[in-house]
Amino acid sequence: MSIARDRAVAIGARSAANELLAVTDPSAGASRKPRPAAAVGYSRRRQDAHAAIWFLLPSLTGLTLFLIVPLAASLALSFTNWQLLADPKFVGISNYVRLLTFDPTFYRILGNTVLYTFEYLTLNIILSLGMAVWISSLSWGKTLFRLVFFLPTFTPLIGVSLVWLLIFTPEGLMDWLVASLHLPIPNLVTDPNWAMQAVIIVSLWAGFGYNLLLFGAALESIPQSYLDAAAIDGASAWQRFWSIKLWLISPTLFFGMVMTAITALQVFDQVYALTRGGPGNATATLGFAIYNSGFTTYKMGYAASISWVLFVIIMALTLVQLRLQRKWVHYDA
Amino acid sequence: MTTQRLLATLALSASLFAIASTTQAQEPTEVSWLMWSSSDEQTAAWQYVADLVNKQHPDIKVQLQTTNWADYWTKLPTLAASGQLPDIVSLQSLRAPGFAQIMEPLDPYIEETGFDIDAFDQSIINGLSMDGSVFALPYDFGPYVVYYNKDRFDEAGVPLPTVDWTYEEFLSAARALTKDGKYGFAVTAMGYIPFALSDGAEYLTEDGELNLDDPKLQAAFQKYADLAAKEKVAPVIAASGTMSTQIASGRFQSGDVAMFTTGPWELINQKNKTDFTIGLAPIPAGKAGSITTSAGSGFGIAKDSDKKDEAWKAIQVLTGPEAEQYLASAGRAFTGRIAEQKYWYENAATDVVNARPALEAALANAVPFRTTPNWNSVEMLSEQYAPLAYSGAESGAEVMDTISTLVEE
Repeated sequence: MSIARDRAVAIGARSAANELLAVTDPSAGASRKPRPAAAVGYSRRRQDAHAAIWFLLPSLTGLTLFLIVPLAASLALSFTNWQLLADPKFVGISNYVRLLTFDPTFYRILGNTVLYTFEYLTLNIILSLGMAVWISSLSWGKTLFRLVFFLPTFTPLIGVSLVWLLIFTPEGLMDWLVASLHLPIPNLVTDPNWAMQAVIIVSLWAGFGYNLLLFGAALESIPQSYLDAAAIDGASAWQRFWSIKLWLISPTLFFGMVMTAITALQVFDQVYALTRGGPGNATATLGFAIYNSGFTTYKMGYAASISWVLFVIIMALTLVQLRLQRKWVHYDA
Repeated sequence: MTTQRLLATLALSASLFAIASTTQAQEPTEVSWLMWSSSDEQTAAWQYVADLVNKQHPDIKVQLQTTNWADYWTKLPTLAASGQLPDIVSLQSLRAPGFAQIMEPLDPYIEETGFDIDAFDQSIINGLSMDGSVFALPYDFGPYVVYYNKDRFDEAGVPLPTVDWTYEEFLSAARALTKDGKYGFAVTAMGYIPFALSDGAEYLTEDGELNLDDPKLQAAFQKYADLAAKEKVAPVIAASGTMSTQIASGRFQSGDVAMFTTGPWELINQKNKTDFTIGLAPIPAGKAGSITTSAGSGFGIAKDSDKKDEAWKAIQVLTGPEAEQYLASAGRAFTGRIAEQKYWYENAATDVVNARPALEAALANAVPFRTTPNWNSVEMLSEQYAPLAYSGAESGAEVMDTISTLVEE
């Protein structure tokens, strides 16, 4: 999660979105014409390649050691029955077969993960976009508000969850508040039908500030002349938002949605600290199931196979989003 | 002059080198030790006994590392898998069946050094043995008993628990103590086991298999869960990253619950932190009498350790009379060594009402806490699923069936 974030900050939302686009949409990269091959001599190219290897080596080493090797190892592990203390034994695809056909909790956990991702993503985007537009309209205190809402993003999630646990605990602050307002809401962490809402509230509180900052920066970069021109033509504030701002920030919006969806699918910290997947498996997500299989039942091979299922799901969702973006993302600002 | 100076310098550096090399030789061997701890008081107690080793064996220095209880059981197998186990491994009797394979059998050491194993309570030696081999020397053991807040009993005008109190007396006390937003009792994930045993229900079969789908056990669990779900004399502790026993212990400390079940090892966490008087009672008698489980923990040597002889010396001190006297007096351990148990009674439990009669009665009716090799899974799944029964969202039978299926799967 933090790696994805750091990277996003480093690259900048716009260029990252462009990169994503370039992968699937060849037309976007059309302006970057490759140099004609004939113009470059053979030895020159070889020299370039030599130099390139040396420049690439540091990050390539890191990538291989810390990403590619573990990735391959976890794939290999998912075909074994490794239980930490005993030596692993090759079991073919039986982990996957059991996961998809026999495991009594897998589809519930998958459903929980999808529900969480969908609800969290929707609420996060609405909340962060709404707040970003509101803050950008302020005449003073923009930085202050952005800082305040961004603060939870660099607070450790486990710590955040522990504090929220005290709020949600039966007969805690939340119950008192709900009772004083006479709301028909049961205790969030003990009711299996409501427990996921507790996880979502904590995730929103901790997570929306990041998108807020991202969208806020995108809104700031819209040339004022566009908005002035629209205002002179008689466009209302709503029209200016809906017809101009939203389209101009769509690459950033897209980037925010992709990254938020990926982190949402991997949700673990809040679930572990706040509900331990419970009550029952009401809040158990794929991320939590991986931990549970690996570290409470010590079935590492099985945990690895869940990881790969999660990986495939994230990959598929991201590809779908990349396809859909052609319909609504505008890069020609 | 210059020659003299040169010689002097040479002599000086030679002697410095000599000093350096002798200190090198006397540098004690470092032996690593991983232990669980849930409070600063406990960590301080373990550091004290770790330092005792260095005092008795100047050539050995024990490096203590602590982690909380739940993490200990994820860290240990991970360290084992990556070949980085500490030299001294702490082992709880409940988890001995699952972890014996990473431990060095101690019998050869005991024989070779003529170590007096009979100074320890036999039941906990059995608890830390597998297939006739001892894998750890016990520092403590003890039966699960009821801790109660005497002040709350006095306020509510409820008679104090006696050593032969019954479940009915317990329930009516719990009811009377539940008022003004405070509770009589606290239910925890695994707390039902002594209550079930006292009702004649078994959580393991004769062959040592899990027996959670047994109707008799499920009925007993339901009765326990109803203390929260129906009787409302115990708060529902939600599943979370914090173990239910730790939450119950905290709520007892704050005076929020008047009774909870735990072992004598818990006294260090309660003593000096509560402004009320603590009392002890055995598990209230059910249909089968008052039956409780006794469990304990000890220290063993990792199979892969390359400092086994030093580790053997160290664990003898860690569980030796001096360490045991200290741990007993601090209220951390009801000692595995029979002779030192008096220090728990006389020093740690002096202000505790009925400590000796309650513990002696409990010990007289205690059975060893037998477990299955996958006990950690059973416990963690209970943390996750038992609250469903405590809140009444599911029946006790449904919860037990789920745990049973998930463990076997």
